[in-house]
Amino acid sequence: MPRLPDLRFAPDCTIELDGSPVPARRGESVAVALLAAGHAVLGRSAKYHRPRGAFCLSGSCHACCARIDGVPNQRSCRVPCRPGLVVSTQNGFPSARCDLLGVLDRVYARGLDHHHLMTSSALLNRLAIATSRRFTGQGRLPDRLLSPAASAREERWDALVVGGGPAGLGAAEALAGTGVPVLLAESDSLLGGRLRCGLGRAADPALSWAAEVARKVTEQGGQVLLNATALGIWQDGGSRVVVLRVEEGTPPLRLVYATRVVLATGTHPTPPPLPRNDLPGLLAARGLARALSENGLVPGSFAVVLGENEEASALAERLWKAGMQVRPTSTASDLRGGRRIRSVRLSHGERVACDTLVVAGTRAPASDLARQAGAALVFDEEAKLWRVKASPFGETGRAGLWVAGEMMFPLSADEAAETGRRAGKAAHGHS
Amino acid sequence: MATAKTVLCPCEDVTLEDVHHAFAAGHRDLESVKRYTGFGTGPCQAKSCLALVTSELARLGATPAEIFPFTERPPVEPLTLADLCSIDPKALSLERPPSPEPLAPLPESRPRSSHEVPARAGVVVVGGGIMGLGLAYNLARRGVTDVVVLERGYLNAGASGRNGGGVRTQWTTPTMIRLARRSIELCRRFAVDLGINVWMRQGGYLFLAPARKEAELLERNLRVHEANGLRTRLVSRDEALDIVPELDPVQFVAGAFNPDDGVVFPWPFLWGYATRAESLGVRVLTFTRVTGFETSGRRLTVVVTDRGRISCDRVVNAAGAWSKEVAALAGVSLPNRPIRHEILVTESTRPWLDPLVSVLGSGLYFSQSQRGEIVGGLGDPDEPEGVVLASTLRFLSRFARAITACVPITGGLRVVRQWAGCYDVTPDNNPILGAAGYENFLQLSGFVGHGFMMAPAVTELMAGWMAGDEPDPIFERFAVDRFARGEPVREDFIIG
Repeated sequence: MPRLPDLRFAPDCTIELDGSPVPARRGESVAVALLAAGHAVLGRSAKYHRPRGAFCLSGSCHACCARIDGVPNQRSCRVPCRPGLVVSTQNGFPSARCDLLGVLDRVYARGLDHHHLMTSSALLNRLAIATSRRFTGQGRLPDRLLSPAASAREERWDALVVGGGPAGLGAAEALAGTGVPVLLAESDSLLGGRLRCGLGRAADPALSWAAEVARKVTEQGGQVLLNATALGIWQDGGSRVVVLRVEEGTPPLRLVYATRVVLATGTHPTPPPLPRNDLPGLLAARGLARALSENGLVPGSFAVVLGENEEASALAERLWKAGMQVRPTSTASDLRGGRRIRSVRLSHGERVACDTLVVAGTRAPASDLARQAGAALVFDEEAKLWRVKASPFGETGRAGLWVAGEMMFPLSADEAAETGRRAGKAAHGHS
Repeated sequence: MATAKTVLCPCEDVTLEDVHHAFAAGHRDLESVKRYTGFGTGPCQAKSCLALVTSELARLGATPAEIFPFTERPPVEPLTLADLCSIDPKALSLERPPSPEPLAPLPESRPRSSHEVPARAGVVVVGGGIMGLGLAYNLARRGVTDVVVLERGYLNAGASGRNGGGVRTQWTTPTMIRLARRSIELCRRFAVDLGINVWMRQGGYLFLAPARKEAELLERNLRVHEANGLRTRLVSRDEALDIVPELDPVQFVAGAFNPDDGVVFPWPFLWGYATRAESLGVRVLTFTRVTGFETSGRRLTVVVTDRGRISCDRVVNAAGAWSKEVAALAGVSLPNRPIRHEILVTESTRPWLDPLVSVLGSGLYFSQSQRGEIVGGLGDPDEPEGVVLASTLRFLSRFARAITACVPITGGLRVVRQWAGCYDVTPDNNPILGAAGYENFLQLSGFVGHGFMMAPAVTELMAGWMAGDEPDPIFERFAVDRFARGEPVREDFIIG
C-alpha cells in the first residue's frame, strides 16, 4: 500500500522516471511520488557508486538529487510534481538502479585512498588521472539555457525572521505584537515547520496558530513569504544582507537589509553512524511524518523506528495505523541491504527484515546561517553536536542578530515557540 | 549488497575509515580533516556531517582546542549562476567599515602543533604555504635539514590552499617561462616524487581576447613563446569553439592555446612537501605565530613566536600576503600589498571543459576540477588593499555575469561554495627574492597570485642557492633593490 486510501492523496497525473511513467499527485514532491511508487534509488554516490535515495525529505541532505526537467542535481524532495515532469536518475551506468560501476564499491571495499592511489609510477599515475576523470562528476550540463531572471529586489525591513516553524512563528508573533513590520521567510510551501508533522505533545500549539501569526504579521505591515529560502548572509560594504530566493517568484532573489534578524532555522536530521547508513529506505522521522500527513505516503510494508523520544513513538503508532508493520527500537546495528535496506539487527540481537528504517534520533542544529552572520558555535560533548552560542534570549553577541528554537538546544514545539517569543521581544527592544 | 561502509558525508562518500586515516596522518582539526577527506565540501555543505566527524575526532582523542568548526563558506544553499546574474554588483560596495567585525572569528583556543619550539635552528622559514614548505623540502634534499617552518594556522590556511590550481607556461618573459616550465615538469612528477596525488591534468590554457587590442597582445606573446620553444598557438573563433564548444563566439575575436598548461589540486602539495621534509628532519610547526625578531648588527638572531624563541642563522620570509607584516616585525619595509581575490566552485558535473579558460582584460578565469566542479575567480579592480578573507555577494554577481556571458550554459550551474585569498602584490608584478634589511633575512614573496605555480621551480633554485650553488639570475633580477635601482620589468600577464 503506497499511499493512504484517501482521495486527497490519490494520484492525478503522471511523471516520468528514466522513461517509465510514475503516478503522482500534483504539487507533492517528486521524492514523495517516487517513494510512493516504490522507487527508492534516485542516483549513485560520487565515489563508490553506492545507491542514493531520499533521506531527510525536507530539503537539507541532497541525497535525493536527480536530473529533473533537464537540470542536473535537483533535490527531488523540493521539486513539486506536475504532469509530464521528466526525471532521470543520476550517476548510474547505465542506470542508477542497475549500475555497473557499483563494482567500485566492492573493489574498494576497504575504502579508496585517493591521495595515495597509483603514485608508484608516472605512467600509472597518468592513467589514474585520466581514468578517474571519466568517472567523476554528478549529472550532465543542463539541456537548455535558463532565461534571465528579473532583477533582484532590494528591500529594507525593521525585522526579518528566517524560518516559519514554531520558533520563527513565536518570534514573528512577538515582533508583530509590538507593532514592528516583520518579514517572515519560510523555505517550504506552508508555515508550521514541525507542527506539520503531527508528532508533538498536547501542549504544542495547533497548526492553525501559524495562520493566526501570518494574519498578525500582515496586519502590522509585515509580509509572509513562502517558498523563500535564505541562501546566505553577506556583509558587503559593512551592511548585513540576507539573500532570499523565492521559488517561482518575480523576481526570484530578494536582498533583504533588516535592522533585526531572528534566525529560527531549526535542525537537520542526521543519519546514525552505522555501517550502510546511506542505504535508500532510511528516512528521517519528521520528513516522513509530514509526507504521511500531507501526502498520505506510506513508504513500505515494514518499518523499524530507531529512537527513544516521543517523536519516535508517535510516528511508530501512526505508521502502524497506516498499515505498516512497525518495530520500535532504541538501538540498531548491522544494517543490511543492496539497493534498499532489507534488515536491521536490534539491540537484543534479533535480526528484523524491513524495508524502511525511520531515524528519529539526533538532529543537528541548522547553524549555517547563524555562523555566516558571525555567531560562534560551541561543541556539546554530551549530545555530540555543534550549538550556536547564545544567551537564553537568543542574543548571539552580534549586533541585530538573534537565534531561537531548536537550533539552540532540543526543545518541544511549545518551548521552541516560547524561545521565539523571547527572541522577538529582545529584538524589539533593539534599535 | 552494499559494502559495510559507514558514510559520514554522503555528498562526497567520506567514510568513518577516511576520518581515521586522516587522523592517523596527523590531521586533527576540522579544517585539516575537511581538506584531507573532502567531507563537507559537497552541495549540502556539512549540514549533518560536521557533527558526525567532530564526535569521531573527539572519540579518537582530538583535544578540545583542536575542535573548532571549519569556517562557514557561503552560500548556505546552492544557487544558480543565472539567479546571481539578477543582482546588480554596482549596488554592492567594497567599502570597509572603519573596524569591521570579523565575519569568521577565530576560536578562543587554538590547537597546538605536536612539535615543541626548538631553542635553535639553522634556518627558520616563516610561512607554511607552498613556498615555505617547498623550500624546506628542497633544503632538506640538499642536506640542509636543521630547518623549522612556522605556520600561524593549519596547512593550507593561506593562499596556497585557496587558489584555483592553474599552472601555465604562457608568460611574457623568458625568465617566467623558464620557471613555469620547470614547475610543470615537477608537477607532473610530484605524485611519484613526493608520494601523494596532485591530480595534474594538462588540459591546456585557453586565453580569449575580447577585442583586437587583446588579440595583438596574444600575438606579441606568441613570438616570445615560439622563441622559447613553447607549443602555444593562436586560435580563431572556430578553433576555440572546437576546444570548448559551449563558448559564446560573439564574446571574443581570437585566442591563444597551450596544450601543456593545466590544473592541479593544490592542497596535497603542502602535505606532500611537509611530510617528506619532516621525514628528512625538518620540523613543521603549525598554529605557531611569529610575533617579533631580535637583531644584532646586520643580522637577525632570534625569531620570537607566541610559543617560544628560536635563535637562528637565517630567516626566510615566505609568508605570502602576510610578508609585509612579517618584514615589518623586523623593521624592514617591503613594497608588497595584500589584495583580496575571490573564488568559487559550482556543483560538480560530468567532464565537459578540458582547458582552463581566461578572458583577457576582464580577470575572469575558470576550469573544471578533477571532481567535476567549475572552479573560477574574477579580480575586482576596485578591491582595496588589506588582508581580508571575507566573501562578498558582489563577487558572486560579478563572476556570474562574466562566466555566463562567456559560456551561457553555465547559468544553470549552481554555486556551492565561495571563499577568498590574498594576492601578494608587488609594484612590477614580479616576486621579491633574496636579502632585505638584514643580510640573513631572505625574502621569498610577492608572487602576485601565481606563487603556487612558480613554487616548485623557485624553491628548488632558492634551496640550491642557500645550499651554496651559484645564484640563478632570478635572484639578482628579482632582488628588492631593483625598485631603488629603477630596473623593474613589469609582468602584465596576471590573471584575476
